[in-house]
Amino acid sequence: MRNVLELTWLLLLVVTSHAKGLSPPGKPTLTSCRSPEKETFTCWWQPGSDGGLPTTYALYYGKESSDFVYECPDYFTGGENSCFFNKNNTSIWVNYNITVVATNRLGSNFSDPVDVDVVYIVQPNPPENVSLSIMEDKGWPFLRVTWAPPRKADTRSGWITLIYELRIRSEGENEWETHVAGQQKLFNIFSLRSGGLNLVQVRCKPDHGFWSEWSSTSQIRFPDYFHREKSAWIVITAVCALIFLIITWLLHMNSRSLKHCLLPPVPGPKIKGFDQQLLKKGKSEDIFSALAMSEFPPMSSSSNRDDLLVEYLEVHIPEELEAMLEASKDLDSADGGFKSESSTSDSDSGRGSCDSRTLLMEKCGRPKEHEDSTGEAEPEDWEVARVDAGGRTWPSVFTGPSHLLRPSEGQVCKQIKARSDVNISAPGHKQSPARWSVEYVGVQTVVEDDVVLLQPWSGRDGCPPPPTFHERDYSQVKRVGSDDTLLLLQKLPAGTADGREGRSCDTSQKSATCMHSTAPMSGYIDTAAVFPMATY
Amino acid sequence: MCAYGQAGCPLPTLADLFERVMQQSSRMHGISSDLQSQPDHYLFPSRNMLRKWKCHTHNILTPGDKQNAKSLDREQLTEVIVRLLGAWGDPLSQLHQSMRQDQNRNKNRERFSHFSSNKVLEMSDVMQELRDGVLKMAEKMKLQGVLSNAVVPVQPERALHSSTFAFYKRGGLRSLDRNDLLYCLRRDSDKVKNYLRILQCTTLPGLDC
Repeated sequence: MRNVLELTWLLLLVVTSHAKGLSPPGKPTLTSCRSPEKETFTCWWQPGSDGGLPTTYALYYGKESSDFVYECPDYFTGGENSCFFNKNNTSIWVNYNITVVATNRLGSNFSDPVDVDVVYIVQPNPPENVSLSIMEDKGWPFLRVTWAPPRKADTRSGWITLIYELRIRSEGENEWETHVAGQQKLFNIFSLRSGGLNLVQVRCKPDHGFWSEWSSTSQIRFPDYFHREKSAWIVITAVCALIFLIITWLLHMNSRSLKHCLLPPVPGPKIKGFDQQLLKKGKSEDIFSALAMSEFPPMSSSSNRDDLLVEYLEVHIPEELEAMLEASKDLDSADGGFKSESSTSDSDSGRGSCDSRTLLMEKCGRPKEHEDSTGEAEPEDWEVARVDAGGRTWPSVFTGPSHLLRPSEGQVCKQIKARSDVNISAPGHKQSPARWSVEYVGVQTVVEDDVVLLQPWSGRDGCPPPPTFHERDYSQVKRVGSDDTLLLLQKLPAGTADGREGRSCDTSQKSATCMHSTAPMSGYIDTAAVFPMATY
Repeated sequence: MCAYGQAGCPLPTLADLFERVMQQSSRMHGISSDLQSQPDHYLFPSRNMLRKWKCHTHNILTPGDKQNAKSLDREQLTEVIVRLLGAWGDPLSQLHQSMRQDQNRNKNRERFSHFSSNKVLEMSDVMQELRDGVLKMAEKMKLQGVLSNAVVPVQPERALHSSTFAFYKRGGLRSLDRNDLLYCLRRDSDKVKNYLRILQCTTLPGLDC
């Protein structure tokens, strides 16, 4: 009867359970076991489905090399679905074989067994008492972090050996900077960033186990260490200023050469010959200096040695133009400088004797159409420049190489006597008037009161001066004429006849070999120093 | 290290000896971890055989928790250390020989490569050196009066483990046997390292353990 009752009860149970969907519990699984200090440990499991019925769980374990099976001593300390093994029940270096079984009214279910050796499941608590302090090392600040091991971990006896790790970041950053501290409980951070709030965390790990959680964040504010950076800037600025000063000094020292490199001087025009304008308007000192150094243009005070390096330019002014210009001004000007006759003469100073259009060229291959009554003989190839006492004009000095010229020269230039009133045209001049060469004459002697014999120099046009005529351009002024005229005297060196061999050059002379930079010979003095000219 | 006081050689202090010993034990443990073919999983899948599975050094009484370890005095602890280290000399050499034989036979199923056989040899040497170092340290401790004059065995306990390798055989040389051996090796090296640390922290006063 009793059996029938039990069977009926079971049938009813099965029927009702099937009707409601009840079932034995699902299979639980052991999720993890952990030991915080290598003295105790806790295991947690995950229950399966409960099958709709109240289910109980039980954990059974067996120790290595022992056949005994024990049940979990403590289901509560570790929380729900956990088993806590206290110190008495924990053995290190022993394999635990753990199983969880779920049981409900309809049945039970065993989990898969796992083997646990406590020494490999140690996960300590986070370090405690993390303290931060800012310290100074020779004026440089650094952060010192200290901490204590977790309370339960017994490192003092050596039972557990922990290694530590810390991380730091600024308040605004997202990246942590991690430092490994080893077994020490102290760490110095030197890579400080000035200003701002800094957060520090520490964690630990046993030799073989798991990392703890990060400790709670400790904060510290770094003071601003701008002065340290400022001193570096000061040093950098000083060095740059020094370099700048050195460069400036170097540039100043080499300014001249730099200037020449970058801006080469433009050569100024140097006009050969006598500047007539200067006579008109220039001062006496300038005129004297011009007379003295006829070859050179008036030197201005501003000229420097660089001017010597610059080649002289030859400036040719068409004679007609110049003469006309001169003539227009001659009537009023009071100076007694050298003037060229407007119509009949030209200032062909320095021109070749064959070039002058006013010349009577006998031996230059032109017809002697203008032989005047003076009856100048052939040998007498003096060129007479008529000086008009009353006039203001001088006939132009003509150049004509004397017989002193080298006979090898194909062209024998002659001195031609010319008068002021003779309008000599030189149609057959072998050189066109447009092509003037610059030539100079030397005053040899004064024939009459108002006649000056000039010794012409030949110019470049095939009538090179005698090589003996090297030096001296200075002429001696004999006297002053009545009317602002100058009589130039050319001293004849001894041994010369007729004064043909003049060894001096006229002030207005220039030849290729006539050097003016030498000192005057005895007897010849700088005209500028001879007599004072009337001021104009 | 010249611990014998040779001429011109500074005698190491006890702290230096401890430091050296600790370095050696760390190295030993590292090698044993390398030899372990399986990763450091704490939850091994249960094998039925493991319940009856023992290490050949099971008869050496070793403290299994902190209280037991602290209850041992220094002499006993040192003795345990030395015994443990000495117990692995033969098994490691035998393992090395068996591995080389397998290599010579050129078995494709051979799990342990040439690299592992060298590691086993290295492990054997390291353990031997460590044992010698611990003995020297014990002598030093005796000299300093830290250790009493308890007799520390010098000779390795060969008689107990004459056929140690056979201990692990279960009817044949299988890879499972080697795994058990290596597992025991790793555990014993961890024990030695831990006992040495306890010895160091309790013997040296100024150390910040």
